[in-house]
Amino acid sequence: MTDGVVRDQNGNLSKQIGKYKVSVIREKCIAAASCVAIAPGVFKLDEEQIATVISQDGNDDETKLLAAQSCPTAAIVVIDTTTGKQVWPLIE
Amino acid sequence: MPTLLPPKQYTAKLADKTVYNPKFERYSFELTEPNKLEFTAGQYVSMAITNEGHRRSWSIASSPEVDHGFELLIDPKPMGIGTKYLQNLKLGDEVKLLAPLGQFVIDDSGVEQAIVFVATGVGVTPFRAMILDLLQLKNDKREITLHWGLRHVEEMIWQDEFQELAQNYKNFHFHPVISKASPEWPLCRGRVTDCLSIHELPANAGYYLCGRETMIEDVTNLLTTKSVARERIHREKFY
Ligand SMILES: Cc1cc2nc3c(=O)[nH]c(=O)nc-3n(C[C@H](O)[C@H](O)[C@H](O)COP(=O)(O)OP(=O)(O)OC[C@H]3O[C@@H](n4cnc5c(N)ncnc54)[C@H](O)[C@@H]3O)c2cc1C
Ligand code: SF4
Repeated sequence: MTDGVVRDQNGNLSKQIGKYKVSVIREKCIAAASCVAIAPGVFKLDEEQIATVISQDGNDDETKLLAAQSCPTAAIVVIDTTTGKQVWPLIE
Repeated sequence: MPTLLPPKQYTAKLADKTVYNPKFERYSFELTEPNKLEFTAGQYVSMAITNEGHRRSWSIASSPEVDHGFELLIDPKPMGIGTKYLQNLKLGDEVKLLAPLGQFVIDDSGVEQAIVFVATGVGVTPFRAMILDLLQLKNDKREITLHWGLRHVEEMIWQDEFQELAQNYKNFHFHPVISKASPEWPLCRGRVTDCLSIHELPANAGYYLCGRETMIEDVTNLLTTKSVARERIHREKFY
């Protein structure tokens, strides 16, 4: 599908909420929790005090990117699902 | 943990800058928009330092009483893009930041009967905000001790302020620890763990550790061998 348009469970076409997919590199996370403060709909700290993704749709793309950029250890990876390219951390 | 406010985007202007010595630089900012920042002592700011989205985190060194601006204390040694960004700022230059961030704040559950701060180098930064807050704003009567490890005595800053606080508030104790001390140095020498080993470490105190990861691990190990529960050890790793 292009332009973020997806088919839901009932087969109806709908607009995907965001195009960014985030993931956390657990080994890098120091539990500074800025991601949770910035995008509480997307991240939470688990029992081991490591950030995990609870939903990809809990906050908008801009907020997800800001959370990733604010992570002091660059533990959050952002992929643009429409292009498959990594948006953050920048690949220098 | 106290209720922490969600972060907001701020703009601020560099109002003052002091190069204390090769180890420490202070940057003082005045907020422009919004013009008030409410934070809990121990929290940090995330500053935008490039147009590509790079950011750096720096703890707030000033007391939460000052809500129209904030101070940072920087160790310039890493000399990466963050340090260079700050050093290149001229008075009046505008910065963009997100704040307040972080959960490294004093536990307010009432369980901790005393407070022990352990820092190396620039790790002292959030403790200055916490100490000013506890003593001057909260009039906290618990025993509060700062163990601060530095390599050379010449690196030390704020000693007058900490010593004055120790004189004015009998429950505050300041223990600088110098690893490369001259023979005349009268106080603790060696590593912060050496200093901690010779002091009483009550199990009902809250321990707040900040600085380099290896120090945080060493002190955590020392405390756990002295029966301090892991929940009483609060850690902020700078690097
Ligand atoms: C929550 C949090 C709060 C922080 N608060 C402060 C603060 O109040 N003051 C402060 O100076 N720094 C603080 N830091 C570290 C700060 O975010 C930057 O890492 C530091 O300023 C270096 O940035 P840079 O871009 O110049 O160097 P970078 O290129 O980012 O760093 C180069 C290398 O130096 C390491 N490094 C970072 N700091 C030091 C240091 N002091 N000594 C030796 N190596 C170091 C980094 O881990 C990295 O490997 C904090 C970090 C975190 C996570
Ligand atoms: S901001 Fe980074 S280090 Fe902090 S909790 Fe989130 S992923 Fe972990």
